Amino acid sequence: MRMSGLFRYAVAAAIAMATFPARAQSEPVQLSPAEMAAAGAKAKTCEACHGPDGNSQNPAYPILAGQTWRYIYIELKDFKAGRRSDPVMSPLAQNLSPEDMIALGNFFAAQKQLPTNFQADGAKVDAGRKTSDTALCPMCHGGSFVGDNDVPRVAGQYPQYIKKQLEDFKARRRTNDAGNMTSVTERLSDQDIENLSQYIGNLN
Amino acid sequence: MAPAIDRKTKTVFFVVGNPSPDLYGAIRPGDNLYTDSMVAIDLDSGTYKWHFQYIAHDVWDLDAVSPPILTQARDKDGKVVDVVIHGGKTGHIYVHERNTGKLIRFSEAMIPQENMWVLPTKTGARMLPGANGGVEWSPMAVNPGLHLAYAANLHQPMTYQVEDVPYPGGKLWLGGAFTAIPGEEQWGQLVAVNLDTGKIAWKAKTPQPLIGGVLATAGNLVFNGEANGWFKAYDAKTGKELWKYNCGAGVNAPAVSYMVGGKQYVAVAAGGNKQIDSKRGNSVFVFALP
Repeated sequence: MRMSGLFRYAVAAAIAMATFPARAQSEPVQLSPAEMAAAGAKAKTCEACHGPDGNSQNPAYPILAGQTWRYIYIELKDFKAGRRSDPVMSPLAQNLSPEDMIALGNFFAAQKQLPTNFQADGAKVDAGRKTSDTALCPMCHGGSFVGDNDVPRVAGQYPQYIKKQLEDFKARRRTNDAGNMTSVTERLSDQDIENLSQYIGNLN
Repeated sequence: MAPAIDRKTKTVFFVVGNPSPDLYGAIRPGDNLYTDSMVAIDLDSGTYKWHFQYIAHDVWDLDAVSPPILTQARDKDGKVVDVVIHGGKTGHIYVHERNTGKLIRFSEAMIPQENMWVLPTKTGARMLPGANGGVEWSPMAVNPGLHLAYAANLHQPMTYQVEDVPYPGGKLWLGGAFTAIPGEEQWGQLVAVNLDTGKIAWKAKTPQPLIGGVLATAGNLVFNGEANGWFKAYDAKTGKELWKYNCGAGVNAPAVSYMVGGKQYVAVAAGGNKQIDSKRGNSVFVFALP
């Protein structure tokens, strides 16, 4: 191959070819309409706190709509096994079979996440973005914080809920994270946590 | 990662990832064979032939991930022999005698090393390279005529934190965290290493860490992509940049080259990357060479 004039008439047009998306484990399982209806019936129990179709109306309870199915499955498993504890969720999870958990995960994953009415503080959002880069949050959660597989989607979640989880990890009130979040939050100040909550809660 | 197969000796060479939990080692005493190793097995029977462990009892996630490459290099007596090479997250390229696994040499450090091998602490211990390397899973390339290997490097200063945690039930079990260091620059580098000496022949620095992979052609070109969308061609001997094209999304994949009707093409995917959070894309670009 000749070096001179390399690519002079090159770029025989950069041919952009569509690629087929690989099916990731984090994508919802395709439920039949009957299965989806059954899962939706099971999810009625969740509605009081998590809202219609998983869009919670109360910042104390997380939005589940659009969450990765596997994260919901794993958290329910942890509530049942005692790795994560909550006065409401722990007893509820005792009655769920693994199949129930998978169905619920897929039901909520298939729902559309609606925006909250949260009004962000611009300065805190900027500071939160910088903290996120340093803490390497995108390495697991992705740059747009949509999560992947057992790593949760947190984009657009209630900032109050994000803040509480980060505080719980830091205080080790929540320890079902395999040591990652407890370590990361160890070095976050209260202000860092506030800024991160605003930044992530403000993402669509 | 993809193994290498030597048809002549019917041997499969592959590298192995790190033990889990990544940063918390107390729960898994010993060397944790064959993690962080290159392993050679018989192609037909699967029988063990040899292994070489780069890091025993890894607690930094510095596993062996860049695929092994079969080529030739000079041994310590100056004789050209069959070798298998690996680009490590440690920042070295390792040159092994292919039949025995014996380490002939390892290259000088391609990226800054510091404080090796400090143990992770609860509040974070600084050590370079960071957990992504060195050389991540990016395949290296070789120019067999020049005895040069080309590696895509990352420099990402990190601290390593450990957390004593039990098995978490079906989740990624890190046992701690790695975090970047505020204010410290991160960058990448395409490096050519002389396999006969272990010395660096040339370097081309890039503004962002490199994850993707390198292509070397028989026409003495080297192709490499960057997170900012640039796909570049370099002179294989000197490292001089000869050409570039911006693909509009992170070029975080190795290119391939092929011929159709006597014409040579180079193709590369620009899909971006999650780990270094480069811009996502969904395209394959194909270029024709003159």
